[in-house]
Amino acid sequence: MDNPVETIGIASARIARLAAIRAVLCAVAPALTAIALGVLLEPIGKVTWTRLGYRLAPERAGVLSLVLIGAGIVVLAAGLIMAFRAYRRANDFVAAAAELDDRLECHQEIVTFATLANPSAPESIRARRTPLFPILWRRAIALFGGLDVRREFRLEVGEPLKRSSIFAGVVALAMVLATLGLVRAPTPENTEAAKLRAIAEEIARTSASSDDSALADKIRQAADALENSKLPPEEKKARIEEAMRQADKAAQKRNNSQSGKNQAAGKANAQNGNGNGKSQGNSTGAGNGEGKSESGAGQKLGVESSGSGKGNTGKSSGKNQGGKGSAKNDKNDQNKADQSSLELHDELAKAEAQVETANAKNPSPDKQPGADKNQGGGSQPDPNRPGNIPKPGANGDRNIPAAGGNPKNNKDMGSNLGDTHLGEMPTSTNAQRFLKPGEKGAALDIKDARYVMFRLPGAPTSGNGGKTVLDTDRPTATTGYVNAPLAPTSDDAPPDERQLVPPRYRDMIH
Amino acid sequence: MGAAPQQASPDQRVAEFREIFSRAESEVARVIVGHREVVRKMLTALFCGGHILIEGVPGLGKTLMVKAASETLGLSFKRIQFTPDLMPSDIIGTQVLTEADGHREFQFKPGPIFAHMVLGDEINRATPKTQSAVLEAMEEHQVTVFGTTYVLDPPYIVLATENPIELEGTYPLPEAQMDRFIFKVVMGSPKPDELREILNRTTGTAHAKIQPLFEPSRAPRAIEELKALVREVMVAEPLERYIISVIGGCTPGGPGAIPEVSQYLRFGPSPRGAQALILCAKVNALLAGRVSVSYDDIDDAIVPCLRHRLLLNFQAEAESVSSESILEQVVKRLRKPRT
Repeated sequence: MDNPVETIGIASARIARLAAIRAVLCAVAPALTAIALGVLLEPIGKVTWTRLGYRLAPERAGVLSLVLIGAGIVVLAAGLIMAFRAYRRANDFVAAAAELDDRLECHQEIVTFATLANPSAPESIRARRTPLFPILWRRAIALFGGLDVRREFRLEVGEPLKRSSIFAGVVALAMVLATLGLVRAPTPENTEAAKLRAIAEEIARTSASSDDSALADKIRQAADALENSKLPPEEKKARIEEAMRQADKAAQKRNNSQSGKNQAAGKANAQNGNGNGKSQGNSTGAGNGEGKSESGAGQKLGVESSGSGKGNTGKSSGKNQGGKGSAKNDKNDQNKADQSSLELHDELAKAEAQVETANAKNPSPDKQPGADKNQGGGSQPDPNRPGNIPKPGANGDRNIPAAGGNPKNNKDMGSNLGDTHLGEMPTSTNAQRFLKPGEKGAALDIKDARYVMFRLPGAPTSGNGGKTVLDTDRPTATTGYVNAPLAPTSDDAPPDERQLVPPRYRDMIH
Repeated sequence: MGAAPQQASPDQRVAEFREIFSRAESEVARVIVGHREVVRKMLTALFCGGHILIEGVPGLGKTLMVKAASETLGLSFKRIQFTPDLMPSDIIGTQVLTEADGHREFQFKPGPIFAHMVLGDEINRATPKTQSAVLEAMEEHQVTVFGTTYVLDPPYIVLATENPIELEGTYPLPEAQMDRFIFKVVMGSPKPDELREILNRTTGTAHAKIQPLFEPSRAPRAIEELKALVREVMVAEPLERYIISVIGGCTPGGPGAIPEVSQYLRFGPSPRGAQALILCAKVNALLAGRVSVSYDDIDDAIVPCLRHRLLLNFQAEAESVSSESILEQVVKRLRKPRT
């Protein structure tokens, strides 16, 4: 190229482009990493923390995913801005000349030439050219003689990608740290909800009827409700009960249809006659009410073959075996359906129990004793404090089965009815822990008994040559012992042993 | 060889400069053994239009070197031995009463300063008054006697020497006067081989004869043309910034001053230091066959141009820190600007 100014211009543009590409490359990896992590957060969670038994709340996962995607977009935008700035900065005539100077080892001749020949330089700079400038021009031409700008300034992606990968690693590390901070060990509700969802998935996958789909939806709703901490327990229970009802309905329908099929199968068997006892037996086996509709064809085929195959035992037997196998499959499927139905019931019942337990542990704020207007003590751990005395009809009553049956009939049900026991004291329903005298067996006079003494068995005999030692120092009872039979305890009905104090006296007791 | 042709091309002028410089070095080397760097700096100072301060013990051939250079270039040469009782008029010249045709009049009798090359031997032995007389001539290239100004013919170069020993009864040059020398070069003792060669040359019967490069009548003009060529050498803006950063880096409290500068220096170089750097770098570039200055040209000029412009403080004197070592540190730590 004869014009060194053009050469420097081309080099300048090339350097600027490369600078821009390098800047973009620096930002691409972290940006793509962040976006990919944001998009694939759920699958990543399935193979990592979910598999390890931890749980990332959906709302938190959503926020994290959005943050990652947003960060990726921001980094990408920043990379583009940096690329633009790098292009602007690197697109410098004299800087490109300096770069060429370094590469060609020209002792700043090209820089000097570029300074004085810069097309965008003011006239005052050009005026500094001396009579020796033509020598510089020729020197520049000679130096650029074998120069290939593209070959001299190659796109080296290694270094920017290396730097970029470091940033990407930082992004990934930040994501890992954020996830570590956000994941939690699943609560029993979460576990139960996950199981319910799995069952719902299974039902939705295996069944094609609309009832099963509806059941799967109900189960999912129940699972969602179970996890939703904002929903009141009553609502949760209602959803679960709804799912249970739906499950019952689906099971009933299935049973009905199955009994219809069994009847049909029985009719078909009756038409076969008594020609083949073996076949009859097989058909009977299939007619246990467990076969399914699709196995009806096989049964029928087996029966027909056996009917026409008199004297050909082997053939008829083989075909009958086919019918038998089909019946077996029906039975298996039926068993599976029953099992899954039972499992579903079991899980729903557990979920309901879970709701109740959670409700008992964390009563809602409006039902907390400390929140009551009549209870000035707040939520103190001391059970003798007035504030901790459960009000009749509140928590305590809900867990105690009503003597008359339906707890809804209790007048004190619900705490919004006020201090009703001022006029009518509530009846304690589970105050008696021991059996009444004479209730079971002979009456034991344990009135005013303060201790119940048990006689411990004698010292055990040691085996293998050991010596038997009697514990003579052991204290023995001087009076006859009684063994008062305790009433069977019930987990869900704790004894109501605390005495209720009228509100007007509560402040006097400390 | 005569002077450069009138309409010589730039290439020819550059080539001629290199040839003259090279031949001058060779001619001086006929009589001076070794000290090539000192000779080069002396010729560089001549073509830069500056003056040079040579520091060295007596007997190293300083006078002979300057005399040989003047003979080579065809320039006039005078030597002044500075002593404490030397008066300015002894150097500059004075008005003497002359009688001609029955008339008596004062006539100016020029002193030894009126020559193209002036060697001021042991300049630090003269009183400041005498020193200042020489320094005015150095800077202004003119002298004033009784109100009359006499211009010194170009080219004009003063080569002052200082004896680093026997400093008793001397008057060290003030910083302002030191600043007027473009270079300060230190003339060391000859190496054994060089000393043997000196002995061979000076104690035998053979005498080296110097071949002048110019005729004495044309020499001043030829030298001036070469000096003009030096100033035509181009300097890129980044290199100018580099020179400025060097000056700033050597100035205590200046931009980019390194800690050593602030610790050991009282004052840094003046703008004259930057001028000296550029001119010296330009000569270096021409000698390298280039018409533009490079970073290497500047780096080569830094120590001789700036070493006498740094004013060391007491701590530096106490710790024997030299200005050369500080300059080397500055050059090491400075980053050369790309654009």
